[in-house]
This record gives sequence, C-alpha cells and structure tokens, in this order.
Amino acid sequence: MIYDFIVVGSGSGGGALSYYLNKSGAKVLLIEAGHFYRKDTFPKTEAETSAHLYWGGGIEFGKDGKMGFLRTKMVGGSSIVYQCLMDRFDDIAFNDWKSESGVEWFNNAEMDKHYNQVESDMVLHTFVPEERNGNAKLFVEACDKLGYKWGNLRRGQSNCGAEKGNDCIGCLGGCFRDSKQSSLVAFIQKAEKEGLEIITETEINKVEPGNDTCKIHGLQNGNKVSFEGKKVILSGGAFGTTRMMTLSGFKSKFPALGKKFASHPQFMWLGFQNEPVDAHKKMFQAVASKDDSFRAQGFKLENVFASPISIGMLMNETGAEHQRLMKQYRYMQCIEVAVRDENVGEIMCDNKGKLTIVKPLTDQDKTRRNKGLQAIENILTTAGAKEIYKSNFYFGLHLMGGCVMGTDASKSVVNPDFQVHGEKTLYIADSSIYPNAPGINPGLTIKSLGHRLAMQLLK
Amino acid sequence: MANTFSNFAIKGLTKVGNIYCPKNDEFPAFSDVAGTYKLNDLVRNVPSDDFSSLNLVLAIFAFLPNFIINWIISKCQQSQANPSDGIIPSTLRQLNIGLRGLCYSIYYSEFNNPDFKGKTPLQVIDYSLNRITD
Ligand SMILES: Cc1cc2nc3c(=O)[nH]c(=O)nc-3n(C[C@H](O)[C@H](O)[C@H](O)COP(=O)(O)OP(=O)(O)OC[C@H]3O[C@@H](n4cnc5c(N)ncnc54)[C@H](O)[C@@H]3O)c2cc1C
Repeated sequence: MIYDFIVVGSGSGGGALSYYLNKSGAKVLLIEAGHFYRKDTFPKTEAETSAHLYWGGGIEFGKDGKMGFLRTKMVGGSSIVYQCLMDRFDDIAFNDWKSESGVEWFNNAEMDKHYNQVESDMVLHTFVPEERNGNAKLFVEACDKLGYKWGNLRRGQSNCGAEKGNDCIGCLGGCFRDSKQSSLVAFIQKAEKEGLEIITETEINKVEPGNDTCKIHGLQNGNKVSFEGKKVILSGGAFGTTRMMTLSGFKSKFPALGKKFASHPQFMWLGFQNEPVDAHKKMFQAVASKDDSFRAQGFKLENVFASPISIGMLMNETGAEHQRLMKQYRYMQCIEVAVRDENVGEIMCDNKGKLTIVKPLTDQDKTRRNKGLQAIENILTTAGAKEIYKSNFYFGLHLMGGCVMGTDASKSVVNPDFQVHGEKTLYIADSSIYPNAPGINPGLTIKSLGHRLAMQLLK
Repeated sequence: MANTFSNFAIKGLTKVGNIYCPKNDEFPAFSDVAGTYKLNDLVRNVPSDDFSSLNLVLAIFAFLPNFIINWIISKCQQSQANPSDGIIPSTLRQLNIGLRGLCYSIYYSEFNNPDFKGKTPLQVIDYSLNRITD
C-alpha cells in the first residue's frame, strides 16, 4: 500500500497536520512511537505520569547533567502534558526568524490565516479575574505594586469543571475530561472519526526518500516494519526528528543537522507565605508577565506550580531540611522565568540512536536569566514571602531546532516549503524547524505551520 | 528485557531513601512508607543501559556503610552548583537527579507500603487533588 501522506509523530505538529491532510480525503497514515492513551486511561498519579508518558522514563539530561529536557511519547506527543497556553508570535519573533533563515514568509501577515484556522479548530479561553487562584492573586498584586505589566493567559480548554472544584494541575498528566485542547482532543480524535489511520508503538528509525515515493523503516514491538508514502512528513519533535534524520545518514549532507538547538531554559523559585497559597488548586496558571521591557530583556515570567514530586526535585537539600521545605507545600508561591536563549545547542545521535544533548548557557542567556530571577525575587519579596527558595535546577520544555528551516542548504535542513533540501518526497513539520528561540510559547505556531504545510501539499 | 531492580539494589535504594527522607517529626522514614513493589514499574521506560548503571550503583550502596553513602550524596549535592562540565561533576549531577527522582517518586506518591499505618508524606504536607471527571 502506498499512502498519499505518512506523518511520523503525532504531537503538536503531526497531530494538526494529519488532521488537515486527512480532511481533504487523502489516504493518510499517522505513525507514533508511543502508546494510545485516552482521557480514561491516562495515568492518575504524578509518579506514573513521569514514568509512563515521558521519553527516557522521566527527564532526559544534557551531557553536562545541568539541564533537564521533557518530551513525551504517546499519541498527542507533548501536547498531552502541555499547559496549552496558546500564544501567537509577535513581530520580534518573526523578524528574528526571517533574518536567521532568509525565509520571507515568516511574518504575521502571512501567518495570520494559519493562526486563524487553527484557532477556530480549537476551543480557546482567556482567563478572567474570578478564575485566579492564590498564586495568581499574589503575582498580580505584587506586579501591580512594582509596575510590572502582566496579562491574563489564553488557554485551549473547553470544560475544565473548575466551578465543580476540579483542580486543573492534574491534567499535566493528560486531561481526564477531554477539555484541554491537546492535539489528541483538538485534531486526532476528530480525524480518527473521519478515517485517519493511526499506527502506534512504532518507532521509525530510517527514512529513504526517492523521486516518487519515500520509504520509512522502523520497529513495532521489536519487529521490523516498513511503510511507503508519496510524501512523508517527519513530526517527531526536535529530538525525535533530528534522530531520524541522523540515523538515515543525512548528517554528511547537512552540516546544520542537529545544530541550532534552543529550549527556553526555565528556572523556578518559591516564596513561602504565612497563609496557605494552594498554588496547586483550581486553575493553576491564569496569568503571566506581559511586559515590553521583559520582552526586550529576553525573558518572561510564568506564574506556575507543580505537583509534590516535581517541587521536591527543585530542592537540593536532603533529610530534615528537605522535609521542612516540603512541609510548606501549601504555603508556596511559585514563579518561573523562561529565558529566550541563544540557539547554540546541539542534538547528536550515535549510530545506535542514542542521543547526546549539548546545551550550554551562554553569557547572554545567563544575563537574561539573572534579570528574570531578580524580577522574581522582587515579586516574591513584595508579595510578603518570609523565605525564598532559589532553586538552581533548570529544565527545558520547549525543544526547538536541530532541523532548522532556511534558504541556504549549508545552514539549514529544510527549505521554505518544509521540504528537506533536494528531496522531493520528504518534509519536516514540527518544532525542529524553528530557526531560533522565539521567547514565546511555541505550540500554537507549530500547529499553524502544520496547517501551512497541509495547504501547500494539497494544492 | 524489562528493567528489574535486584534485591540488593532495592536494599541500597532504601538506605539512600532514608537519607533523603528520614523519620522526622511527622514525616515517616522512607523505609517504612515506600511501596517498593512499584519500583520496577516506575523505571520501565528508562533506557536499559542507564537502568543497568543505576541498578549497579544501588546494589553497591547496599554494601556500603551509611557514612560513605552520606559522603557520596553530599558530593552529588555539591555537584549541582559546580560549574565544571567535567565527566565527574556531570555524572554526579545525573546521579543526584536520578536518586532523588526515584526516592521522591515513591515517597510523595500514593504507592505506599501496604503495612504502613501512619500519616503518609502526602498527608503530612496536606496535599489533595480534586479530579472531577463528569
Ligand atoms: C510540561 C510541558 C508544558 C508545556 N506547556 C506549553 C504551553 O503551555 N504552550 C505551548 O505552546 N507549549 C508548551 N509546551 C511545549 C509544547 O508541548 C511543545 O513545544 C510541542 O508539543 C512540540 O511539538 P512537536 O510536534 O514538535 O513535538 P511533540 O509534541 O513532542 O511530538 C512529537 C511526537 O513524535 C513522536 N516521535 C518521536 N520520534 C518518533 C519516531 N522515531 N517514530 C515515531 N514517533 C516518534 C513522539 O513520541 C511524540 O509523540 C509544553 C511542554 C511540556 C513538556
């Protein structure tokens, strides 16, 4: 069987793309390395969420062991665990993409129709003041006193049950209400009803593009499998797609393969209040910084929190001191800084497929981090924190680059039409094509780029 | 082949767990509360070579006196603030996260020793989550 389109990877990029391709009536196959979980089969505990849903069984580390990277392996990819904050890029982000890549259509005027379409296929909600929990209220009050600008977040969600007392932090392990607009909810389940063929627990390790079709090979439950499509689109995410391309021997052709990796390094600090904050209750993330001066300085602040195991992981202390800190879980106010980092990281893959990630923080990254952490300290102090826990553990949730888009084949892997340079039947549509770090949540743009590619392929 | 901890590794992890999470005030000791029956499930997706190293390190801990394990853990902690990218600090940092991850995943979880009767760590920190599905 030769499919019209085969999409490898079902996350933010692959989920949306396969939906739009399938809608046209084309014969589409979506292949995913992970398991097919649904709202009633997602793990119900934090421990199982990390262990079962994430690649590597939890967190993956850079070579220097400093920074942790999080990405998931299941139908829906990282969109199953994301917070679903849906932000369009601003002109700063697109202009920087354009100058790095030479791609002319990186601008809001061109992307507008794709954003519009994706947004209309998702249920989006902008938070209102009544929805703020204790953590958000403290953040807003302190920002107002300090003159920092903040904004209500826009999230993909249809029916979170907050009025019934549902605590949304649970959906970081997969939404058990099908409210959060993951790729699974917003795209894949709908496409499934319209005949999209989905094959799971199948990891693709080799792509062989030809003139008329592209063959792909992988393992399904330990058995070798192969598929063929007129066009194959890789959407395995920054790590997954870079790995497939490297294993397929493209490194010698494209010096840029694996390069220009960025990840918005995130640092979380805690402030301990005298009264319970209950940052894990209700809508646990409703506001964030929206300050032009922060944007210009290369960072943004998120008003987030996490479940107990993850909060414990922020702390380097052991024994009684660790327990003293954890005893105050309900009293913790939490803010994180996400740095708009330089894309100097590298994703490497040996011939057995083992990944090695090199992701140093540059001097500019450190300056941006320090400015953000100073702003966090100001907010926590202004909010009356009696103690501040300054965690030095940091992590990346937005994995970008490795197969970047550009006009020059010596500096990029895909051309402005998403096509692997010189290959007629092989495309890439996911966060690996990001030319550099936008400093903005990447998910909506990944989906919108998927829509753009679908429109182009269906022309 | 599925990742399976050896009995020695579980013994070693229990010793490490009691250093990270000792009996203290309301908090129970790791060894009293931890549902070690869950351990193999929690490492089922860890790449097998990483798992083998962890299994071996923990098995070695089973034979080491506590003061040496304490010393290794303190070196792991110090590595977190060490700017060096050298192989030793890098390995210690990964060990630090790996050990803490495993201990806290069991300690702050619903997977308790069925014989344990006291307040669990999640109860001590007063954590509760409403999951409303309808
Ligand atoms: C905890 C968390 C919170 C986040 N919150 C937000 C947020 O609020 N807003 C936002 O915009 N972004 C957020 N993100 C980031 C966002 O989820 C990712 O940037 C986005 O999902 C990346 O999309 P992608 O398609 O590139 O990759 P992914 O979504 O990671 O999907 C890749 C898929 O490909 C599969 N795959 C990989 N290799 C293979 C292979 N060889 N064969 C078959 N399948 C393969 C993977 O298993 C995976 O399912 C968050 C991420 C995390 C982890």
